[in-house]
Amino acid sequence: MTSRERVNRALQHKEADRVPLDLGGSSVTGMQVDTVYHLRQALGLDEPGTPVKVLEPYQMLGEIKADLMQRLGVDVVGLGKPTTMFGFKNEGWKPWTTFEGTPVLVPVGFNTEPDTNGDILMYPEGDRSAPPSGRMPVGGFYFDAIVRQPPIDESRLNVGDNLEEFGPISDDVLDYLRSEASRPYLDTDKAILANFGGTAFGDIALVPAVQLKHPKGIREIEEWYISTKTRRDYVYRVFERQCEIGLRNLEKIHGVVCDKVTAVFVTGTDFGTQNGPFISPQAYHDLYQPFHREVNGWIHRNTSWKSFIHSCGSVRALIPDFIDAGFDILNPVQCSAAGMAPGELKKEFGDRLTFWGGGIDTQRTLPFGSPDEVRAEVRERLRIFGAGGGYVFNTTHNVQARVPVENVLAMYEAVREFGQYQSMSSSGWQAAS
Amino acid sequence: MSTLEELKEVIINGDAPAAKRLTEKGLSEGLKAAEFFPGAIIPAMDEVGRRMRECEFFIPEVLIAARAARGATDILKPLVAGDPSQRPVGTVVCGSIKGDLHDIGKNIVAMMLESAGFRIVDLGVDVSPEKIVEAVRREQADFVALSALLTTTMVNMKAAIEALTSAGLRQKVRVLVGGAPVTEAWARSIGADGYGKDAVAAVELARQLAAHV
Repeated sequence: MTSRERVNRALQHKEADRVPLDLGGSSVTGMQVDTVYHLRQALGLDEPGTPVKVLEPYQMLGEIKADLMQRLGVDVVGLGKPTTMFGFKNEGWKPWTTFEGTPVLVPVGFNTEPDTNGDILMYPEGDRSAPPSGRMPVGGFYFDAIVRQPPIDESRLNVGDNLEEFGPISDDVLDYLRSEASRPYLDTDKAILANFGGTAFGDIALVPAVQLKHPKGIREIEEWYISTKTRRDYVYRVFERQCEIGLRNLEKIHGVVCDKVTAVFVTGTDFGTQNGPFISPQAYHDLYQPFHREVNGWIHRNTSWKSFIHSCGSVRALIPDFIDAGFDILNPVQCSAAGMAPGELKKEFGDRLTFWGGGIDTQRTLPFGSPDEVRAEVRERLRIFGAGGGYVFNTTHNVQARVPVENVLAMYEAVREFGQYQSMSSSGWQAAS
Repeated sequence: MSTLEELKEVIINGDAPAAKRLTEKGLSEGLKAAEFFPGAIIPAMDEVGRRMRECEFFIPEVLIAARAARGATDILKPLVAGDPSQRPVGTVVCGSIKGDLHDIGKNIVAMMLESAGFRIVDLGVDVSPEKIVEAVRREQADFVALSALLTTTMVNMKAAIEALTSAGLRQKVRVLVGGAPVTEAWARSIGADGYGKDAVAAVELARQLAAHV
């Protein structure tokens, strides 16, 4: 069975030979670069000191190369735009060392000069004449947005100001997607998880627009959240126009990647906190769902792609609305959040939703547990989520920095050992109850 | 409806301009700055907390109410500080821990604590143990409230507590911790005095502890 068939079976809610595995298929299912380095070293894939490429500079995600995929049995590859979140291309690789001392390669647009206090500042499109838009604190592991909020004059607030980053897709990008989709499709048997961008409405990681040199409109995080209530019409009109642009782009993209793509990452807007939904179910229903419905409707009418939603936190109360809006796949399935117990989720929604993630708690067990605890949790999650298909194994969000490599190895050993459907039934495991 | 009752309502409903206007109106009517807290701001934010707990309010509603409360407290704080007969419930040094640049949660907790009558010294984000020690000493703080969103930064909370111990200040302050990856067990393991699973819990905890300071 090929990886693509395995993922397809999971998405059809059927058991395959084993539970499929994603690592690095998207910017929320990957691994921080220091951890990738240590994993590669532990597996003997590289000589000591061999640098790992940073493919996603904002979260400092490392490249999951074919040899690592092969070794772990990864079934999914990612497909995305040619530019990073900071707007520069992944090209012109140069050496850099992370604060942990890990040798890495970063693209030429990545600023490696420390600020006076030692922080690393990142610039939109790598242009150091523009104000910096990202900061990695000295000793840190990731970047965060430097918010550049121009003064807001209510009378001059223009919907177009919050749409600068959304526009018609260029022929260059379409050419890139055409060739990048063909390569893994023809050369590998992996399933493609695509993130074309442009269809996440109000994703707070994207609102500050770190790729723009002088962002206009509402860009400050608190101000944005407040605006979803106090300037509801403005935000709605931003989404409306963004949706129109996004649908036109999807049509063009589908023209070049066709049905080579298995699943498409539609949105990464976080709707959950640790304890409950971030916004009221009514606000989801009124402000976001109409646009999710439009995007998913188009996808289902015109393509074979499955629709993927990422939302951290406790989203139990919103899941019926996600399903109703046409999503097929939920990620990262944060089981540590309130109301997100694996058995309950599988029982209540498992026939309608594929769970992609939730394989282990990345806030607790993976970084701070023992290898035995990691193993036990992975086994339990595979048993519950894997039953009857409808499951792709991935950690709950990216594997972070400073995770003991013994735990990472224990996780993938457990996936190999307990992810076989044969072994699940032979040991008398039953569908989740 | 009295001015204070009106102020309470507009804070709950998140009307910041009205909150400022009513605060000024109350002062012009002869109300003392300190009277606004028990009379309007504390009950308003208690109600916001209750609605949050009961899933009537979510993050945007809380942020909007907090902004309205800030409209009032910004006017009142200098007046209260200048009145020697008024003492805050306690002084809280707060911040997002070293390495962490996330502050929505910290800001909500700080605002709720301020609305509950605490004096807040907000050190911002990426706050080193040294800065915390210095602020505790300078401000004669009763509490240190630390936030972390990341598994990689929450470990620095432990370093902050150790720095307070080394500086001989640990017995003088109560350390409260919170943030998405933080748990009660973790809080206990690093020697913190308390953990709040959300802003409402943090305020309740600080109030309980303040009663015993």
